[in-house]
Amino acid sequence: METRQLSARMTAAWPWVSTLARLGLAAVFLTAGLLKVDDLAASGRAVNAYRLFSYDTAKVIGAVQPFLEIALGLLLLIGLAVRLSAAIAALLLVIFIAGIVSAWARGLQIDCGCFSKGGDLAAGRSAEYGREVLRDVGFLILAGILLVKPRTRFSLDGLLMGER
Amino acid sequence: MSKSQRDRAAARRIVEQQKAAAKRRQVTIWTSVAVVAVLVIAGLIGFVVYSNQTKTTSSKVVTPSVAVDSGTAFAVGTGPVTLDLYEDFMCPICHEFETDSAATIKQLVADKKVTVRYHMVAILDDRSQGTKYSTRAAGAAAEAAQEGKFQEYFDVLYANQPEENSTGLSDAKLIELGKSVGLGDTFANAVNNKTYDAWVATVTDTFSARGFNGTPTVVVNGKQLTDANGNPPTHDLLAKTVAAAAG
Repeated sequence: METRQLSARMTAAWPWVSTLARLGLAAVFLTAGLLKVDDLAASGRAVNAYRLFSYDTAKVIGAVQPFLEIALGLLLLIGLAVRLSAAIAALLLVIFIAGIVSAWARGLQIDCGCFSKGGDLAAGRSAEYGREVLRDVGFLILAGILLVKPRTRFSLDGLLMGER
Repeated sequence: MSKSQRDRAAARRIVEQQKAAAKRRQVTIWTSVAVVAVLVIAGLIGFVVYSNQTKTTSSKVVTPSVAVDSGTAFAVGTGPVTLDLYEDFMCPICHEFETDSAATIKQLVADKKVTVRYHMVAILDDRSQGTKYSTRAAGAAAEAAQEGKFQEYFDVLYANQPEENSTGLSDAKLIELGKSVGLGDTFANAVNNKTYDAWVATVTDTFSARGFNGTPTVVVNGKQLTDANGNPPTHDLLAKTVAAAAG
């Protein structure tokens, strides 16, 4: 009886937990995109600093990425196809984490350019890969919550499904 | 309630449930299509915006006629060893490098040991509260070079380097410092009209295309020079490397 009550309470709570995760993840992507969108050349240089792509490819990735981040942030904010949006967010985060880990493994001294224009670090500053990866893993957990429990409050999905 | 009534009610419920499930499926499909469409369009917008920016910039580029290395650098000295310096006027580590090495470099120039090629890039435009000091300073230095005063102006800009993340030096201050090294109205006009600002972006682009990511980048005869920790070289290491390169 008590377990059933608890599980009922959890069932009621999940949409709220998921709503927080959705709005949090939306804020993350909107912030990341908006901080980069005003200088696309700098964003391209940040990608180039990973030394994974040719400069021409890095420039295109650097130009497209902020717009994708903003669009994804807006989609999460309004709550459209939340499970799919969360899956795409998770995919992007996994790619970002892989990039940071690869820079770490190669001993590069760069700023991840996650929430900034990035680039090589000035002498005397050391890279903070551990922290950057941990932070992205935290965001990945938010995406994971939405993947498992995509039903949220105040979402366009809910409105379209005729939920209240 | 009779049995037949109960059956009818149950059947209605099943139909309603099926209808609701079908609706959910439809909504899921169409919202997913919408999400993918929005992301594809956002990516395309990014690509178009970037292409247009590149086109606008390149149409405004005025390359200083005195610039060397495909019009991206200013040469000082005539020695056999080429010393390429990639620096940003806002970069504090460049200031440190100049404080440590400027005298050595000038001596090497005076002894006709090196040709120094100064590449003034703008990678720290976001460290001047939106005034793009890196670009403005490098653009002003280009006009100084046109008037044969690159080294003088370069020195005075580093001597007066603004704090990182301040607004940087104003255009008026850039002109005033120009006056102090003998640059007049032509120089002031070039600074006010931002004649070379678009060109600075191409210098920065060349720097990135060559695989460099930070300033100062020091290159001796085509080979990047750093100390054992990957930091810019000391004047000692620089002098030794130049001597070795001269053979």
